[in-house]
Amino acid sequence: MPIALDRRNLDTWQDPKATPYVRIERVSKRFGEHHAVEDLSLDIFKGEFFSLLGSSGCGKSTLLRMLAGLEYPTAGRIYIDGVDVTDVPPYSRPVNMMFQSYALFPHMTVAQNIEFGLKQERLGRGERAERVDEMLELLRIAELRRRKPEQLSGGQRQRVALARSLAKHPKLLLLDEPLGALDKRLRENTQFELVNLQERLGITFITVTHDQEEAMTMSTRIAVMDAGQIMQVDTPTAIYEYPSCRFVAEFIGSINQFEGKVVESDGDQLLIETRLGRPMRVRNFHPLALGTPVTLAVRPEKMRLCLDYREDGVNQLRGVVEDIAYLGDVSIYRLRVEGQRVEMTLTNTQPRTEQVLTWDQEVAIEWSPTSAVVLTE
Amino acid sequence: MPAPQDNPPARRQRLSRVVNIGLPYLWLGVFFLLPLLIVLQISVAEPRLGQPPYTPLWEWLESGVLQIQVNLQNFMLVWEDSIYLTAFLNSLWVALVCTLLCLLIGYPMAYAIATAPPRWRIPLLMLVILPFWTSFLIRVYAWIGILKTNGLLNHLLLALGVIDTPLNILHTQTAVYIGVVYSYLPFMILPLYANLSRLDPTLLEAAADLGCRPLRAFVRVTLPLSLAGIVAGSMLVFIPVVGEFVIPDLLGGPETLMVGKLLWTEFFGNKDWPLAAALAIVLLGLLVVPFVLMQRLERRMEDSA
Repeated sequence: MPIALDRRNLDTWQDPKATPYVRIERVSKRFGEHHAVEDLSLDIFKGEFFSLLGSSGCGKSTLLRMLAGLEYPTAGRIYIDGVDVTDVPPYSRPVNMMFQSYALFPHMTVAQNIEFGLKQERLGRGERAERVDEMLELLRIAELRRRKPEQLSGGQRQRVALARSLAKHPKLLLLDEPLGALDKRLRENTQFELVNLQERLGITFITVTHDQEEAMTMSTRIAVMDAGQIMQVDTPTAIYEYPSCRFVAEFIGSINQFEGKVVESDGDQLLIETRLGRPMRVRNFHPLALGTPVTLAVRPEKMRLCLDYREDGVNQLRGVVEDIAYLGDVSIYRLRVEGQRVEMTLTNTQPRTEQVLTWDQEVAIEWSPTSAVVLTE
Repeated sequence: MPAPQDNPPARRQRLSRVVNIGLPYLWLGVFFLLPLLIVLQISVAEPRLGQPPYTPLWEWLESGVLQIQVNLQNFMLVWEDSIYLTAFLNSLWVALVCTLLCLLIGYPMAYAIATAPPRWRIPLLMLVILPFWTSFLIRVYAWIGILKTNGLLNHLLLALGVIDTPLNILHTQTAVYIGVVYSYLPFMILPLYANLSRLDPTLLEAAADLGCRPLRAFVRVTLPLSLAGIVAGSMLVFIPVVGEFVIPDLLGGPETLMVGKLLWTEFFGNKDWPLAAALAIVLLGLLVVPFVLMQRLERRMEDSA
């Protein structure tokens, strides 16, 4: 299960004086009529583990391939470590990529695959052998060095591909769905290993993934993409807790949404009148004019059972249990509240047989004003 | 342990296995091995006037003696008369040169087709295969019209002012090269295309990403991975060209001495079936050796992997 990783002292992106290591400046990419990436700008800092997250066809892979030099932008510029690399061919970029299919050379052994990039650098034989050994050691695959790719398991191939892309000590490592081809258990272990490796080597990682859990676990920051554009760039926590728009809120995890409008603004709190009829109070950092139509969003796990339900209570609702999904550690309850469906997650602190909530039962729920988010777009 | 049941499904399965494996062997036996044995038998006979025009391998004499006659003189003659050795060497040389030429011309063509946009691939392949719609013989005859002294090629070159006097190409070894390369090019292109079209383009991207310029990537990735196609195409060209008879006969001159032509002359001209058969056997032996060597090499490469 994902546990928050130690990411202290890594928030370079908050330092206004820091210069970005990778700067993507108003980049567009069109394939004929199709706009894969549309006027996209993004700064990534040294030492980051950055994730491009989105569903398939959102342009994340195209963006990664443009960083590798495998595609050239239709417009805009790309800088890596201060150098404009927009028109630099892939073989001259200080960047290496781990391909989703791994793209290991089938006619070469593991060691030869790792050595391939080093040979292009005209390193001496001794130095090459040293580097290969170092990589085999780093990824604990020394015993596989004489094997051919077809003799390896999926997990082993993934390691060889990683070793090959790290062998040249790139300034930037690009990973295209690095864990996509692994089974679930292996994927969870490898997530942590990738992060440890990245922290040990200090190389900037940019990864493409459609798996939100993977992005949440590994990344320093995540860029959520849709239709060739970035919807939000932030830390995993901020993306989850404070989504900036409905798309991000719905894409990451599940969320309850209540439509309404601002009726009262009081310091950092807003009072919102929703269609469900009762006012809801929410903390908000951005000033919003009275009457602004907004969506109030609350994560299912932020809901709790309400013990002192009142007819005029703020952030309180009453509904009927329609569905229960028992997941072991938690249960998801689907309630019907005045025609709207509301999801609530409760931790199963007691065995299921002793649980209080059951189908068709009437329950009252509530949440704190600081647990909800106001979305305007 | 229970006795194996001989129930109908099992029996049917066994029958289907026998048919499946047996049928190809039967085919090979009747249409390949048997004719080969007949040729081998003729090669150790002596020519005679009559039907068939060679002595039988065995004969029951009236005294009840079985007489087996094995005549190795045909093979001795092939070895002793330098004309045959020259013909063999020349055939191998022509086949080698033509195979290399086909590879040089065919590889870029196969590569271009394999990397062309998908909607272009089938039309391009059709263009390669299209000549097969016309008879092989007619196509070779057409080359006479092109290559002869007052033929199309000389007219064109004279008109363009490239040459002053017509080139003498027809009935030279050069004409044989042209004819063979033209006729056998598809046999090189098709297996190469089959191989190259299966090549994962991501591998070339990976090579570029690891610092490999396109030409080096070709040498280090594409070429080794298309080795199987190169070998297959070369075999398909080399083997039939060694025994090729029509092209050297129609386009070649007196100095193009090739085994196929000699064999034809011995068989139809001199009616010396046994000598022709001996030539065929030697030719077969010459061609089997490199084939076996190639297979052994392949197996060793697999073992080392």
